[in-house]
Amino acid sequence: MAVAVPAPRRMRKTLLGAVPMTSPFYALHPVTRLVGLLVLAAVPLFIYMPEANLAFLSLLLVLFVGGRVDLRGLRIYLPLVMTVAFFMFLVVLLSPDYASGYIPIHLGPFTTYYQSLRWTIASYVRIMAMLFATILYFSTNHEREILVALRTLRVPFAVSYIVGLSVRAAGMFMEDFRVIRQAEQARGLDSSSLRLRDRTRLYGMYLVPLFTIALRRAEEISNALAARGYSMSGKVLTGGVRHDFVRARYRLRAIDACLILLMVAGLAVVAYLQVRSGWFGLERSPLLMAWQRHLGGTG
Amino acid sequence: MEASVGTSKVAAASVWEVREGEIRRPGIIHVVMMALFAGVGIVVGTLGSLAVPVGFVSAFWPGQAVQAVGSVWFGYWGGIAGALFPLVSNLLSGSAPLPVSIAYLPANFAQSMAAGWAFRVFRADPRLRSGRDWLVWIGIGVIAANLFGSLWGSNVLVVFGLVTRAAWLKIWAGWFVGNTLPSLILGSLLLRFVSPLVVNMRAFCKRYWA
Repeated sequence: MAVAVPAPRRMRKTLLGAVPMTSPFYALHPVTRLVGLLVLAAVPLFIYMPEANLAFLSLLLVLFVGGRVDLRGLRIYLPLVMTVAFFMFLVVLLSPDYASGYIPIHLGPFTTYYQSLRWTIASYVRIMAMLFATILYFSTNHEREILVALRTLRVPFAVSYIVGLSVRAAGMFMEDFRVIRQAEQARGLDSSSLRLRDRTRLYGMYLVPLFTIALRRAEEISNALAARGYSMSGKVLTGGVRHDFVRARYRLRAIDACLILLMVAGLAVVAYLQVRSGWFGLERSPLLMAWQRHLGGTG
Repeated sequence: MEASVGTSKVAAASVWEVREGEIRRPGIIHVVMMALFAGVGIVVGTLGSLAVPVGFVSAFWPGQAVQAVGSVWFGYWGGIAGALFPLVSNLLSGSAPLPVSIAYLPANFAQSMAAGWAFRVFRADPRLRSGRDWLVWIGIGVIAANLFGSLWGSNVLVVFGLVTRAAWLKIWAGWFVGNTLPSLILGSLLLRFVSPLVVNMRAFCKRYWA
């Protein structure tokens, strides 16, 4: 009796991992996703209130889950998130900003100030919001989609070509680097136990083969482009524009136009509210104001 | 000693001199080299940031070595690649979000172009054959470049509220050392051992664009 085997889930490789083809993000045109990156990365710039940025981070989490991004892949950023927090709060503890009227906070042998700590908390949450907005984009897009987005926006062919080739080359060199590392491990090298000095020397040994590979590839790729009649103007020899095969595979639909307008409008509203009335300023944060009152300051 | 210095001067002049009848024009190979160089920088920069992170700076960022040698070999093509690749490597490593990375651009461009400019103006040999070549490389390509870069970058961190103004000096010092050391060690390695290969390539730029 034949055993029913579930059909394998088709995955699409992205810059930071792989996402199922059924992800809702792939229903959108790449230019919508690129505008999403720019808007989501820019929104926290206008928001200082930690509660608002935390709500924004929650929205990003919903997008990660809704987009079917494997959250386990975000674990590589955990050490960075923690070291950034440690670093920022250590700095504010050891070297806080001070001005007349600042409320002191004594933590053991250290004295910091409420205003300095408040700014650090707000900045940390803001930076995390910007960071994860960017990680969301790179977790759900491939370099071809970045290319399509740039070409849809009529970015010059040379610029979009360079961006696409750079990102593709990064992937190739990552693979080369992995091969070099595997060869080392196969020969018994444990790089994690090396001292910083020895790791430095190791980096030097990686750089030389990576560069020589890059030099050889540059010759090969430019010869291949020349042989196929490519020029950086994006035109063919007869003067006409080269057909953009990659861009032709994606269609901009009404939902893309609506979403782009909505996102840009949302950014404009947030920016206007903050710049004109300080809607998302620190002074409007209920938690920070409550903390200030608890410390005995007016707020 | 005098003879070797004289030979070095002749050799250095010949590396940058456009010979009679030689036509040098920007071409596809320069564009491709810029893209591939940016790709190498993305890999090196990302791995460097992940390897030794200290908050928003890295205690040892090998990406700076890539920035510096790029402009020495490929002029503005290398300089532009060196300015742009940190945008991507910062995002992939998570060490700086997009707006902060954009604010870093002038610093990254200066860190990239300083060496390229100095080697061409002072006719220093990229193969680092004499004491004078080393002086130009270390004095301008490493120290001066990273001085400007670290001053700009550390002030960007203050403007975005990532560090306090009171801590700026320590942050600047960490940035300066974290960029200068790898540039000095790894950049010197690359110039000494890879330059002999590069100067004979079509992509090598005797002037700034070709």
